[in-house]
Amino acid sequence: MSLLLELHEVTHFYGRVCALSGVTLNVEPGPIGLVGQNGAGKSTLLQILLGLIRPTHGTAVVLGQNVRTAGLALRGRVGYMPEHGGLVTGLAGVEYVALAGELCGMPRKQALRRGHETLSQLGLEDARYRPLDQYSVGMVQRLKLAATLVHDPDLLLLDEPTSGLDPEGRTAMLHLLESLASRPGKSLLLASHLLGDIERVCQSAIILRQGQVLKVGRIDELRTTRPRSFRLRWDGDAAPYLAGLRERGVQIELDGKPGQAKALVPTDWQTREFFAEAHRQSLPLTGLEPEEEDLQAVYQRLMTAPPEPAGRTA
Amino acid sequence: MSVDTAGYRRWAGRQLPNALACWPIARSGLVLVLRRKLFWLLLALAALHFLFIFATIYLKFQIAAQNPGLERFVNQVLRSVTGTGETYREFMFRQGTVTMLVLAFAGGMLVGDDMRRGGLTFYLSRRIGRWHYVVGKLLAIGLLVSLTTTLPALVLYIEYGLLTNSFSYFRENLGILVGILGYGLVMAVTLALLLFALAAWLHKTVPLVMAWACLFVLLPALGELLQDVFDDRHWLLLSLWRDIRLVGTWFFGGIDTERELAMLNPSLAIVLGVCIVSTLALVPRVRAVRVVQ
Repeated sequence: MSLLLELHEVTHFYGRVCALSGVTLNVEPGPIGLVGQNGAGKSTLLQILLGLIRPTHGTAVVLGQNVRTAGLALRGRVGYMPEHGGLVTGLAGVEYVALAGELCGMPRKQALRRGHETLSQLGLEDARYRPLDQYSVGMVQRLKLAATLVHDPDLLLLDEPTSGLDPEGRTAMLHLLESLASRPGKSLLLASHLLGDIERVCQSAIILRQGQVLKVGRIDELRTTRPRSFRLRWDGDAAPYLAGLRERGVQIELDGKPGQAKALVPTDWQTREFFAEAHRQSLPLTGLEPEEEDLQAVYQRLMTAPPEPAGRTA
Repeated sequence: MSVDTAGYRRWAGRQLPNALACWPIARSGLVLVLRRKLFWLLLALAALHFLFIFATIYLKFQIAAQNPGLERFVNQVLRSVTGTGETYREFMFRQGTVTMLVLAFAGGMLVGDDMRRGGLTFYLSRRIGRWHYVVGKLLAIGLLVSLTTTLPALVLYIEYGLLTNSFSYFRENLGILVGILGYGLVMAVTLALLLFALAAWLHKTVPLVMAWACLFVLLPALGELLQDVFDDRHWLLLSLWRDIRLVGTWFFGGIDTERELAMLNPSLAIVLGVCIVSTLALVPRVRAVRVVQ
């Protein structure tokens, strides 16, 4: 399978400020999350992938095309949905979507027909002829997605698509993105601060910090690299038991729930040692469950760790 | 509102060349402008002057046909409609007031809003370059200018020619056609570039109208004042609209007076200078780096 993104030592400077530093990535097609704090380089990476700016150093190949030489052709195969702006106020919904199609090279009639179709599929059929100024936040997000989809791009670059949506709208948008991501030949690059959204829609994630790739890989693989974490449950007085575990290097977090605690164990820890210690202290353990680390926890852990060397594959 | 992506189907049509994307940009720009009632009012004002001249030409020919004895008298009274280049040049010049008003109010909608509300992101993230965007917007502004100046002037030219009942008028006055088109082109290009650059920097309508008024009302008035004070006609060059007319006059086949001839080169330099400075000023406002912020 050909790669979706191939970035080699991509570096970009704005004057003296380094926005991206030696980013090397090989990403396979599919739904991918792009995670990072403000200033991490997400927007610069999106610009480079869109072919809008040329990287100061390095090469970037998207969908098999070099962004340096095929910027315009590339944008015909990519759809970009910005978080803010991106509207031409005064136009009606269908005019806006059709214009997006025409700007991607579609003939007017086809762009209009496709605009109607896309808006209907996204639940905006009744609002097609309404001026954009009269759209709600949720409708605007759907509309922008429609304009992104109208020319049937192979790659969707989505910048905070659930931003400003109420819970119901957010669920609907995520459902929609999941549905799109499952379609053959469609890839998503979803930039979001809401890691739950990325976890729900994407299979892989790229985590950026200060212009460098901190981690990249399948989300389930990122989870497997977590420090081992367990939830313990017991009956009775567990103070001596917990003290015994602490002496052996286990970090205990009491979260206020009676009869249970979270335990972070050292790397060489054997699970049976929980039972051995409970036996020594004569404490009946009623539960021992490995805790699933979510992307939020992975992200927080990685943000506090030093960056690893570049050169990743997802 | 339900979502139904099951019906989503692929599109595999042939993509048109990028250069053709300029037209949808221009068309949508005109749609935005013409949706406002204010512009219809301004265009109606422009149409009034046009209809007046149109009716005058018609009247002149009717009187001359029915009463040949009055022809000389009519020609004397209606000196502004002689069918020479002067007729159309003056008509286009006098349309200036309405044209300026249209442009002052349209600039914010056509360009300013794109900069202020992120419309530029919409355009530049598609399969077009920034020059397609610029050309599309310039085309929209240019068409607005032509709608109030060049197009009605052409209609008057055709009317005059048809009322002569022979094609000799068209044959003998091809230079006038060149003049109308040339003057119109100079006007459209200069004003479009200037408006684009100002709107790209000022964004909102009110500051844009003020800047526009400074350029086309205050500066000419100042020029006339300084000309009176210093007794130097070069101060009149401060009126860009006048400069454009002088350059446009050249297209009509020559300049009548020595004084105007002496002013032609400085006027041309000013018009070119405005175009170059405007182009240089608009370039940083449409840099792709501004698209994703």
